[in-house]
Amino acid sequence: QTKTGVLKISHDIFLWSDIISTVEFNHTGELLATGDKGGRVVIFQREPESKNEPYNQGEYNVYSTFQSHEPEFDYLKSLEIEEKINKIKWLPQQNAAHSLLSTNDKTIKLWKVTERDKRPEGYNLKDEEGKLKDLSTVTSLQVPVLKPMDLMVEVTPRRIFANGHTYHVNSISVNSDCETYMSADDLRINLWHLAITDRSFNIVDIKPANMEDLTEVITASEFHPHHCNLFVYSSSKGSLRLCDMRASALCDKHSKLFEEPEDPSNRSFFSEIISSVSDVKFSHSGRYMLTRDYLTVKVWDLNMETKPIETYQVHDYLRSKLCSLYENDCIFDKFECAWNGSDSVIMTGAYNNFFRMFDRNTKRDVTLEASRESSKPRAILKPRRVCVGGKRRKDDISVDSLDFTKKILHTAWHPTENIIAIAATNNLYIFQDKVNSEMH
Amino acid sequence: FSRRRERAARGLGAGGAMEFRLEAHRIVSISLGKIYSARGQRGGLKLHKNLLVSLVLRSARRVYLGEPGGECALPPRPGPPPPPDCERLRRGCRPLASEAAARGRPECPAESPRKRSAAERDPAAGYPGKKPRRETEQPPPQEDMETGNVASLISIFGSGFSGLLGKERGAAEATEPGQVCCEQPVLRSLNPWSTAIVAF
Repeated sequence: QTKTGVLKISHDIFLWSDIISTVEFNHTGELLATGDKGGRVVIFQREPESKNEPYNQGEYNVYSTFQSHEPEFDYLKSLEIEEKINKIKWLPQQNAAHSLLSTNDKTIKLWKVTERDKRPEGYNLKDEEGKLKDLSTVTSLQVPVLKPMDLMVEVTPRRIFANGHTYHVNSISVNSDCETYMSADDLRINLWHLAITDRSFNIVDIKPANMEDLTEVITASEFHPHHCNLFVYSSSKGSLRLCDMRASALCDKHSKLFEEPEDPSNRSFFSEIISSVSDVKFSHSGRYMLTRDYLTVKVWDLNMETKPIETYQVHDYLRSKLCSLYENDCIFDKFECAWNGSDSVIMTGAYNNFFRMFDRNTKRDVTLEASRESSKPRAILKPRRVCVGGKRRKDDISVDSLDFTKKILHTAWHPTENIIAIAATNNLYIFQDKVNSEMH
Repeated sequence: FSRRRERAARGLGAGGAMEFRLEAHRIVSISLGKIYSARGQRGGLKLHKNLLVSLVLRSARRVYLGEPGGECALPPRPGPPPPPDCERLRRGCRPLASEAAARGRPECPAESPRKRSAAERDPAAGYPGKKPRRETEQPPPQEDMETGNVASLISIFGSGFSGLLGKERGAAEATEPGQVCCEQPVLRSLNPWSTAIVAF
């Protein structure tokens, strides 16, 4: 794998560095940021709806592109540090500028996004190109005026939070206090102040004294949306730990441990791998948590630690194929999950460019596909079905013809509206729901 | 996908114990290949993935060698023997009938070894307040990821697997299953094993 490596999937040929590695809406949904394996960030902005062009209403167009991270080489440890953007999180907007945090495996950066649409003209000492004027030609004083110019979006790095992590950073989360944020790697979680880069506070450390005793790593973490003292982190063993920063400085002791006992009839060599939680998200209400492991998504109630309140099968037909999925490394794929704005529908990706949505109220679910053929502008997505033997309908896909190289790992849901962003390898799909999509 | 292989992995094969062991052997080979090829990976060793691979390797090895507790990796079969204490085994404690018990060592720590609390780590700090880690004191970049120790099974097979290959060629009949030792060949069949290593 090199930065300019070419990967051939089916009939598409594209650059490895173009593969999208994270997708995130900002708090209003006006902006959508994507990060890729080449260390770039692309920000899309939603066009304001206009009566003149009703069909263009609410479309997302490219707003800004910048290089967030570059590959680095740690000479001391003889290690290359990948430039891949693992996560992007937006800060709540506090003034005209937008700010976001982006992180690779080791370094988190705070970027400020500003617009410039006016330019001062009429300086006394400088001419239009900025060269000093010949003073003898200056006969009167003028006040520079602001004149409109073509919109320019400027992105500048405001803070670089480096050297905080020995292991690979898997998640970042901004606190509801808007002053601090946390970053988690495999074994530790650090708390940072957004304005201070030369130090961080370690709040979770699960590194054993002897690394040979290691049995569990941190896989994801998130702050509670309303309570600035609470956060959750998930583990490779499938457990969730809710921690309260008021209880103690080092949050190794959890306040609550959410764990479901293993179903002995489903045990296999790969039980441990498929129970590893790849993503955890609080609901907007703050009452629930959503987790994703290899085969399911689960909804947990913060008030019940013994088991999830809901479990949804994403692709249970893969349960009998775990050995092959282990062999081709697919079993290590880390899928994300998302809530809709009202916490009534949850979404996650799967293989063959399929993604799944589950309606928590009606208990209906749907499988949709992100592909060029099915995504002509303003076309309606047709529900897909994977057949697992038995009666096969027209247009069903059999399990054995699923394309496991086409995986939807990263998805995002607009904070309030039914707009979703789906990253399918190097392509970004944005779907908007004008009428309620059918669930079956 | 090979249905027969998959069913064997789940313990449902018609061949029963033999299919388990064949499948376990295959999984051991695949796992070792993954650990070996992870060494040259760009971006450094992925701790999470390698931990999972080493856990699979451990389960498969137990089944292959017929060690007590190997059954914990598989779904329970109807019939007599009471299941071993899978929970203790998953916590990493050795089953009681092992050499360690014979030596009288405590079988399982009360809790898994953890990083000490903030107070224990630095008694001079007075009380366990939040301890900021500055760049000047204890610079984190110098900390070693210690990933060489993570897959404890790698040490059993010796670095570069050369020890294993060397032993295999002169392998006498293997000793009883359950004996895990650097000096002895661990797996009896030669060909798939050396193929997996040579390929990497």
